[in-house]
Amino acid sequence: MNKSKVFQTISWFFIIVFLAITVFPFFWILISSFKPESEIMGAGSYRIIAAAPTLENYITVIFKKGMVRAIGNSFVISALTTSYVIVVASMSAYIISRFRFYGKSILMGLILAVSMFPQMIVIGPTFNMFYNAHLLNSYWVCLAYSTITLPSAVWIMVTHFKQVPLALEESARIDGCSAWEVLWKIIFPIAVPGVFTTAIMAFIAAWNEYMLSCTLNIDEKIQSVPVRLSYLKDEFTIFWGQISAAAIVVVIPTLIIVLLFQKQIVSGIVNGAVKE
Amino acid sequence: MVKRMTFKQFLYIVPLLAFIAVFSIYPIVTSFMYTFFDYRTNDQQYNNFYFSQKLNVKLFLEDCDYVNYFLDADKTLLSVKDAAAVDAIEQKVTDEKAKYAGMTGTPTLSNAQSSEISDFVKSLRQETLAIYDRNTGIEFYNKENMPQILDDMDACIIESNFIGLRGYAELFSDTRFWLALGHTVYFTAVSVLLEFVLGMLLALIMNKAMKGIGLIRTAALIPWAIPTAVSAMIWSYLYDGSYGVVAKIFADIGLIKSQTAMLLTANGAMSSAILADVWKTTPYMALLLLGGLQIIDRGLYESAAIDGAGQVKIFFKITLPLMKSSILVALLFRTLDAFRVYDLIAILTGGGPGNGTESLSVYSYKLMFGQSNFGYGSVVVTGMFICVAIIAFIYVKVLGAEVMSNE
Repeated sequence: MNKSKVFQTISWFFIIVFLAITVFPFFWILISSFKPESEIMGAGSYRIIAAAPTLENYITVIFKKGMVRAIGNSFVISALTTSYVIVVASMSAYIISRFRFYGKSILMGLILAVSMFPQMIVIGPTFNMFYNAHLLNSYWVCLAYSTITLPSAVWIMVTHFKQVPLALEESARIDGCSAWEVLWKIIFPIAVPGVFTTAIMAFIAAWNEYMLSCTLNIDEKIQSVPVRLSYLKDEFTIFWGQISAAAIVVVIPTLIIVLLFQKQIVSGIVNGAVKE
Repeated sequence: MVKRMTFKQFLYIVPLLAFIAVFSIYPIVTSFMYTFFDYRTNDQQYNNFYFSQKLNVKLFLEDCDYVNYFLDADKTLLSVKDAAAVDAIEQKVTDEKAKYAGMTGTPTLSNAQSSEISDFVKSLRQETLAIYDRNTGIEFYNKENMPQILDDMDACIIESNFIGLRGYAELFSDTRFWLALGHTVYFTAVSVLLEFVLGMLLALIMNKAMKGIGLIRTAALIPWAIPTAVSAMIWSYLYDGSYGVVAKIFADIGLIKSQTAMLLTANGAMSSAILADVWKTTPYMALLLLGGLQIIDRGLYESAAIDGAGQVKIFFKITLPLMKSSILVALLFRTLDAFRVYDLIAILTGGGPGNGTESLSVYSYKLMFGQSNFGYGSVVVTGMFICVAIIAFIYVKVLGAEVMSNE
């Protein structure tokens, strides 16, 4: 009895420390985002409550530093990526989970290998490819995101498609459904929770991508959120208040996504990594 | 009942194969090809792949025209005898031009042809110089221009930039590569170890199904879900030498000598990067491990407790062995992820101070996009690729032989 009390106390202590450390950076940028630059740089830089709170940082970041446009770009690119990843991954997962074929384990190994190799190895040739095709600074960058999104999408989808009972599919086949109809009318709707998980994971991966995006889409008009934000630092003076405000602007949608979809995200993390 | 795939069904995986082929396999193979060339995109002599000597015909013919044009202008100032010599030179240039006039693009040159061209340019240089030297009194229009155009003609012969394995030889003597490898290994080992220990603790606690677990899970997911670039920016503010609150706290409690030590010393910057990575990824590790923990039958714990096993013993004798495969997977994923770290270091420290935190990814990116040296940059990436393959091999073979074999 006593022992489990001790264990509980230690657990709670650990959790409180963990939560404090996790939340602290967000807390600090939140309060900094309301401070005028003079308070961030000046004597009051460690004060918690701003002496003269202001919304100026938000106004600058949103209207003058192109954060809104960057969020729009990121949203379009991530949505495009998610859409084609779902279609391509569904089709492949259907075949992988339902049929046996020569080279299946090679294919699965290949998919796994693609998700593991350093992305830096594709960046040079991918840049040249986009340069030669005149696709730099465009939404086409979403195609290059396939190396970071497709492998785990296929992986998660296969896990979920396997759980769809074969009997349903067989009776549909007897009723005269083609394989194409079976996939989209039977399996896909049943596996919707899995599809949803896949979509969220692909969306987050595309939203967070930095390296490809900062190489292929350099033009300010087409920059994604992470790239735009990193450019705020490269300017001559660093305005931490603006950076804080921009970070808050980015964190809020993330927070909403996490609150709404945390079940799917957790399942995506676990399934994406668990072996076939 | 699993059926054999027919051709029609094969079409379903064609899009996947196409994506992998175009955006993964093709770039990898091409990258590998780059390693055998001195390939630099900012230099006309090196921005393509030449196995043999080539001639830039268009430029060469243009240069010939320029030589004659310059000579025509200067000829008017010369004596009859020297003008006749210039005529002879012009005739030679015209003859030379005729030899290559039919060609287009960058045709391959045989050794004989290339030495013929360089001899031609050499004699042109001597002869024109001789005429200019004989007439020091005359103010020529093109005395200065002539050597420049002749240099330009020399550059029309594009040497082969095929270097075979020399790029790899350079890698072995490149101390910056080995330092970057050292930084990467250090970063990976320390951050993955910390994340594993902390993630395990967190997973064990979360598995106890206490009140408020949902809140903890939400809080844990946010650092993972925000872009690394954003968290790197947040941390670079917190670590700032003048206004950063975390740097200030660390300096006040004596962890670092002064507030500026956080990002402006190599050790401080490396620790900063590791700390930021641990902050961001521990929750991910915890969730992966929690997935493994939840598979374990709770009955096992109960019977072990009845048999009188303590918490610690239960953890080491039951929990850990049963979680072996999920631990392996979590560690493998995290190790490879940490090994290719780019965003965090590029934004937080830029590889500095004094290359003190430069990871392999950052180094190769700087080579490729900072110096336009795609050839050697690809060699560094290939070195990194080999390291990744070795890491994966060790995990799979040494630790996970039985995990993989029961597939």
